[in-house]
Amino acid sequence: MFPLRGCGRQIAASFTKRQFPLARFSGDSAAPGIPHFDVVVIGGGHAGTEAAAAAARCGSRTLLLTHRVDTIGQMSCNPSFGGIGKGHLMREVDALDGLCSRICDQSGVHYKVLNRRKGPAVWGLRAQIDRKLYKQNMQKEILNTPLLTVQEGAVEDLILAEPEPGHTGKCRVRGVVLVDGSKVYADSVILTTGTFLRGMIVIGLEMHPAGRLGDQPSIGLAQTLEKLGFVVGRLKTGTPPRIAKESINFSILNKQTPDNPPIPFSFINETVWIKPEDQLPCYLTHTNPRVDEIVLENLHLNSHVKETTRGPRYCPSIESKVLRFPNRVHQVWLEPEGVDSDLIYPQGLSVTLPAELQEKMITCIRGLEKAKMIQPGYGVQYDYLDPRQITPSLETHLVQRLFFAGQINGTTGYEEAAAQGVIAGINASLRVRHKPPFVVSRTEGYIGVLIDDLTTLGTNEPYRMFTSRAEFRLSLRPDNADSRLTFRGYNEAGCVSQQRYERASWMKSSIQECISMLKSIEFSSSKWKKLIPEASISTDKSVPVRALDVLKYEEVDMELLAKAIPEPLKKYTECRELAERLKIEATYESVLFHQQQEIKNIQRDEALQLPKDLDYLTLRGVSLSSEVREKLHFSRPQTIGAASRIPGVTPAAVINLLRFVRTAQQRPVAATESPKTGQCLCDTEKLEEQQL
Amino acid sequence: MWRGLWSLVARAARGPCRPCTRQGSGAPAPGSGATIFALSSGQGRCGIAVIRTSGPASGHALRSLTAPRDLPPARRACLRLLTDPRSEEPLDRALVLWFPGPQSFTGEDCAEFHVHGGPAVVSGVLQALGRVPGLRPAEAGEFTRRAFAHGKLSLTEVEGLADLIHAETEAQRRQALRQLDGELGHLCRGWAETLTKALAHVEAYIDFGEDDNLEEGVLERADSQVQELEVALNAHLRDARRGQRLRSGAHVVVTGPPNAGKSSLVNLLSRKPVSIVSPEPGTTRDVLETPVDLAGFPVLLSDTAGLREGEGPVEQEGVRRARESCNFLDTVVTSAIAQSHNGNSQRLLLVLNKSDLLLAGDLDLSPELPPHLLLSCLTGEGLDGLLEALRKELTAVCGDPSAGPPLLTRARHQHHLQGCLEALGHYKQAKDVALAAEALRIARGHLACLTSGGGTEEILDIIFRDFCVGK
Repeated sequence: MFPLRGCGRQIAASFTKRQFPLARFSGDSAAPGIPHFDVVVIGGGHAGTEAAAAAARCGSRTLLLTHRVDTIGQMSCNPSFGGIGKGHLMREVDALDGLCSRICDQSGVHYKVLNRRKGPAVWGLRAQIDRKLYKQNMQKEILNTPLLTVQEGAVEDLILAEPEPGHTGKCRVRGVVLVDGSKVYADSVILTTGTFLRGMIVIGLEMHPAGRLGDQPSIGLAQTLEKLGFVVGRLKTGTPPRIAKESINFSILNKQTPDNPPIPFSFINETVWIKPEDQLPCYLTHTNPRVDEIVLENLHLNSHVKETTRGPRYCPSIESKVLRFPNRVHQVWLEPEGVDSDLIYPQGLSVTLPAELQEKMITCIRGLEKAKMIQPGYGVQYDYLDPRQITPSLETHLVQRLFFAGQINGTTGYEEAAAQGVIAGINASLRVRHKPPFVVSRTEGYIGVLIDDLTTLGTNEPYRMFTSRAEFRLSLRPDNADSRLTFRGYNEAGCVSQQRYERASWMKSSIQECISMLKSIEFSSSKWKKLIPEASISTDKSVPVRALDVLKYEEVDMELLAKAIPEPLKKYTECRELAERLKIEATYESVLFHQQQEIKNIQRDEALQLPKDLDYLTLRGVSLSSEVREKLHFSRPQTIGAASRIPGVTPAAVINLLRFVRTAQQRPVAATESPKTGQCLCDTEKLEEQQL
Repeated sequence: MWRGLWSLVARAARGPCRPCTRQGSGAPAPGSGATIFALSSGQGRCGIAVIRTSGPASGHALRSLTAPRDLPPARRACLRLLTDPRSEEPLDRALVLWFPGPQSFTGEDCAEFHVHGGPAVVSGVLQALGRVPGLRPAEAGEFTRRAFAHGKLSLTEVEGLADLIHAETEAQRRQALRQLDGELGHLCRGWAETLTKALAHVEAYIDFGEDDNLEEGVLERADSQVQELEVALNAHLRDARRGQRLRSGAHVVVTGPPNAGKSSLVNLLSRKPVSIVSPEPGTTRDVLETPVDLAGFPVLLSDTAGLREGEGPVEQEGVRRARESCNFLDTVVTSAIAQSHNGNSQRLLLVLNKSDLLLAGDLDLSPELPPHLLLSCLTGEGLDGLLEALRKELTAVCGDPSAGPPLLTRARHQHHLQGCLEALGHYKQAKDVALAAEALRIARGHLACLTSGGGTEEILDIIFRDFCVGK
């Protein structure tokens, strides 16, 4: 059992947060008549829980359908959240008032910020999470969310109806049919089925259908989607074996200690639930040539590795590491699964060998000589839907009001799933209320990068977030996710609580105020040198130096600056987060200035909307090659910006589209105005020469 | 992958991330959009060439290049002397026009320079514009695109735009292809490869350095790659002699034994009596230089003293100078038999003069002679052949002025290479790895403008090829 201390806190937290826990748990029994919800979410994983909670936060009556209530919030692979890039996504999910960051602050056992020495733009918040606590806390949150109902049941089919006019799509989803034949009507449906679509588990040469070890796959739903004409692909992933904690000799291994104090994931938390000294350590060990031998000798017993299905390059099994990088030693992190768990998760040892060989392999690793394997590693193969079939709001092109989020779109990772979940939940809800979609641009957040990459480029391997994918990495930082997204979430989607909104507003205005203050304080460099002797301020220039420029020095922080100039800077050091964020803003100030310009240019492209109902294949009056037509038809970009990012869409094609958009925009104007006017104006300009 | 209409343009324009310095009043406010310039009239030789700028720094550019440095009245042609703002070297006397926005072709502030057509002048003005802060060469179709964005073009006019852009991109692509076959393209590709690899390693260090086992020294390797690249770029930029040649003229020296008719040849080529001609050997004692137009190229033609052990100290000095001038020349036209006297890789054109003295059938008598041209300065026989051979040689040295936009391309090259170099400088200064990586990204953006490519996938491919990362 987990410590009472932690438990008491979480309960208190969830009760103070929600004054009226309206949610009910209706179980399997269907209500008389056919139930009707605004939004139905299928799947209770990381995408599903975020989607359901977000839809409910936006004010939609929401139903979460899951195979088993007790697996809601299950972390089916690694016992950790966050990391580099992934931590960025979590901060953005949190900025939209999503769940996972807050739950992680209640459930972590080892918090560590990665990349501490590499600059705040690429800090990676990460934590080892207690699986059981996470699940409990998540279930408590979900079951106490107002407007959200949870029901057990497997979905077999979709209820479809005639399409709404004015939107693309050949039909419209009206609800779902469960395995027992009962129906639930819904105005929007979100599919977050993870690896369950025709999921297949592989250990050695054995294969059997399952979405996750011990869970049934969804086959009927997969067939429905295929019949509707969705392009389906197949991906594979894997998970390592679990090892008994007491059978490991930790004393001879490298120990990794967590941060003290731990840094919380959520903007609204000052601290995490666990005392710094109670955190659990991780240990590091390595593979050796004997591991390579076992893998190489038994390839014939390993169908997962032989399969041609694409696996991730960056979450590789030990087999593919051995095959691709022979004669090397690979890291294995031994991670705790929880405070009271007897299991250790050997990260880096994802394997699909037959179980007995897995055990043999484990025991030749240092520190694991006597290790007992409790559960073998296994591979999963599953269907995913080509994400170019969905819009940036995650609604499908084919079926109106049907949304996809999570692994079904070809991503990997809890954080990627959670990020899509929030966006799908918000948009499903906005769709019901006939409001414009909530789209995060790639200039605004990693969420935008993730969804833009998926919807314009597609993917043929499980997609994982890296900071290198973000062009505007220096602008999209973990520290400023709230100022990028919280206001939009509050104003446009209504998914953000008042309390969070006010906090973000205060923070933003404080930063702006202090930055302009720091810009206005100017002294000669020699005076600065006297004021802050700790800093190596160069005195070779005679121009006055701004306090903001002094703050850029590595060794200067707000504390030091405020010590030198208490008035008016002292008050900005009272909030630690504010002081830290000011330092970060100063660090990147000069580069951000240039980046903002480029961001504006991109946003100009993004503002040019392409009509949704454009039939690219038959479109007349626009000269496009058939290859370009095919590509536009499949991806259905929503803006000129997105169209220009599709590989193979040429500049000329984009200009043609641009012209088309302008014509479409000018149509209402043309009706009232004489078309001659525009022509005349242009004629005078023509005199100035036609030139490119 | 084509990265967006304005984004593409901005990427090229963004340039290096210089630390924020407050600009003087005359300089354009940074971040207010790039100012572009281009040769607007047709390529190749023409009477008048029109160079145009558009964007907020247009006024600044106009003032920088013209003396007196005030803006001419709006939309009124004025005669001004154009000078290079850096070297203060006069470039041309030109008509300039100032179109303050929004009443201009693009809707932005525009300036026009009507200069004398001719590769040297055009190239000089373009290069001078490229040195004005805030200015960069225009991308294909950018003027029209800006006009369109500001509502200055009707839709019917824009119909042609796509075709035009297509054509221009095609031309650029062909141009790029042509160049990419050459030495410069080879160099650029090599640099881009090195830089991409260095960036991939820095990115790997950021994304995987912490919980994956990258090998030791990833950053150090990137550092040394950047260092090498910097040296190479620096050397290349310092050696941008082709551009120089086109501006001030290629240097062609006529040399050979006394009394071979060198001075006659110089007079023939320059169509004026530059040198005194006499049947006496050793008439020319000094190096005589004359600017001529050879096959459309500006050429500095040098007549030299005949190479022999001279009779007196004056002629000795003349011979010494003649030899010396051969060390700076671009093309040597040797009358009479070539003596590969200095073994340099200079271009050598062997001309045998006085072919009128040959009897029919004599031609076969010299099978051991290297490739040569026969000429008679007296009858003019063989002159066409010589001019054609010279044109070929000069094309190789200066680039073909009639083959599309090499002038612009050169300005672009210089702009991006310079930008790349500056960004590499920021890489070395950056203490924060994210900032360092940003500098490399900017540097790579500049090279990508010359070689194409530059996507994120390329980086990830290198990371996953070079490192065993992930868990």
